[in-house]
Amino acid sequence: MRASELLNLEVRTESGQRLGRAHDLRAELTTRSLKVTGICVGTRGLLERLGIRSPESSGRAHAHDVVPWSAVLRADRRGIVVRDGTKPK
Amino acid sequence: MKKIFQIALGILAAIGGFVDIGDLVFNVQAGAKFGYELLWVVVVGVVGIIVYSEMCGRVAAVSKRPVFDAIRERLGFGVGLGALIASEIVNLMTLAAEVGGVALVLQLLSGLPYRVLILVGIAGLAVAIWVAPFDWIERIFGYGGLALLVFAVGAVKLHPDWGSVSHGFVPHVSSSDKLVYAYFAVGLLGAAMTPYEVYFYSSGAVEEGWTPKDIGLNRANSMIGYGLGGFLSFALMITAGALFLPLGIEPELIGTVALGAQVPLGAIGLLLALVGILFAVGGAAIDTCFSGAYNLAQFFGWEWGKYRRPSGAPRFTLAWLALLGLALLVIMSGIDPVLLTEYAVIFSVVALPLTYIPILLVANDRSYMGRYVNGRLANALGLFYLVVIGLVALSAIPLMILTNQGQG
Amino acid sequence: MSSPEELDLGLGLLDHQLVDSEGRRCGNVDDLELEGVREGSPRVVAILVGPPVWRGRGRLGRLAAWLAPGQTVRIPWEEVEAIDSAVHLKRTSQELRLGRGDDRARRWVDWIPGS
Repeated sequence: MRASELLNLEVRTESGQRLGRAHDLRAELTTRSLKVTGICVGTRGLLERLGIRSPESSGRAHAHDVVPWSAVLRADRRGIVVRDGTKPK
Repeated sequence: MKKIFQIALGILAAIGGFVDIGDLVFNVQAGAKFGYELLWVVVVGVVGIIVYSEMCGRVAAVSKRPVFDAIRERLGFGVGLGALIASEIVNLMTLAAEVGGVALVLQLLSGLPYRVLILVGIAGLAVAIWVAPFDWIERIFGYGGLALLVFAVGAVKLHPDWGSVSHGFVPHVSSSDKLVYAYFAVGLLGAAMTPYEVYFYSSGAVEEGWTPKDIGLNRANSMIGYGLGGFLSFALMITAGALFLPLGIEPELIGTVALGAQVPLGAIGLLLALVGILFAVGGAAIDTCFSGAYNLAQFFGWEWGKYRRPSGAPRFTLAWLALLGLALLVIMSGIDPVLLTEYAVIFSVVALPLTYIPILLVANDRSYMGRYVNGRLANALGLFYLVVIGLVALSAIPLMILTNQGQG
Repeated sequence: MSSPEELDLGLGLLDHQLVDSEGRRCGNVDDLELEGVREGSPRVVAILVGPPVWRGRGRLGRLAAWLAPGQTVRIPWEEVEAIDSAVHLKRTSQELRLGRGDDRARRWVDWIPGS
């Protein structure tokens, strides 16, 4: 699967609650790999995508509005489905 | 000491380069129509370009990346490509108008046929870029453009009503012909804040290998260079206001513009004016041409650089050659360069937000800029100008249509 | 790097400049290949470069892909040396088969004297 196919997909819970669009993919970079750890959702995610940072954060990443990948049940062309009760933090 | 000398040289060369055909046309026409009433708009425009070029220079010095990279990175492939296409179209129009301007001046100087001189002009520019080291090009065209200072001398000699002139620096709206006034205000802002200057400046900064130590130099460059360019714009508008407005002349020809120096200063004034226009517009043509090639190369990730041997950046080289070729076709079609200039400036105004939004965003990104991120002043000014640019971009084409390009 | 660093794929990686080991600019990150999405442990395995890749980047992307010549180049993630505002690669563009557009264009430019 390609990153372009995941980006901008709609993120929904199992029961259909819409959490927003996947504006970006949070990843963890090590010397050996780049693992996707979460999805940036919601309107806050859009501001992040354009690069506007809130004063508390340092570096590239934002702690807010990221759905951890561990909550993802399914991710394909139809959309991303996460467990019920998942709230972006 | 050597550094100061270098800075002075750079700034001198830059002044000549900051007035292009758009500034010439709009400043003179605005002066002929509204006298000194639009001088304050020029100030707004000059401060705007200083604010944004300082940001671009800082981004280039800290991140070693030029502005157009940020456009694709921040706006994505689709929107970025749209921005690229829009900026290439405007670049091409501007370049064709500048080549036409060069040909017109050559015609006034030599009497040879216009179409022949278009070919001479294009060939001359292409050969100059190909053969001469770029510092030489910047110096020759920059110093040549300084001849435009004759308009400053001429403006004083015309004895304008300095009271009215100073009143023109105070922001106000004309009592008559409000729409036409607004059209010229938009055009003046567009001519002062042309995107290609910003792209060219930022790419140049990366090529010169600026580092954070050069940030002070960057600020000085922007302020003095563009400031003095603004000074030349004032001279043009004051000349037009003092000379053309009372006589009811609406300058549609480059020759009329040069009259502005001939009337107060005689034959020497005319000659210096023509030489100044030739080099300023010719230099601007080179900058525009490279800016178009920079944008393409930076969007697609090709190698680029004006200091490289042509074979060091082949697609970049072919890009600027192709742009000159296309400009040749456009201007050979017989379109009036002054009319084309007006369209180019108005269309570039519409594209301005796409240019400046990414600059403001990147200049605020701490991961890009570290501690050199925008301070409160830069952001306040940047946001203010973004609003101005937004308003101007929305109203440009409606105003152009409603006022029939300033004819009223 | 001892501690893992966080990176946003869209903002920090996608559409960024690629620079080879000799400092040569050789394209942009046009897309990223992911593996392990279905299994719940997605990771980036390769960088994808080239006009055919643009098909996945929107309507203008599809148009551009249709008009532009060139092939897809796949750069395995192991070839990445470092990431700052650009993506730095461990080997030369020649070895990675990047920047071939410039090689093709050079043949034309070389015809002109003084290049």
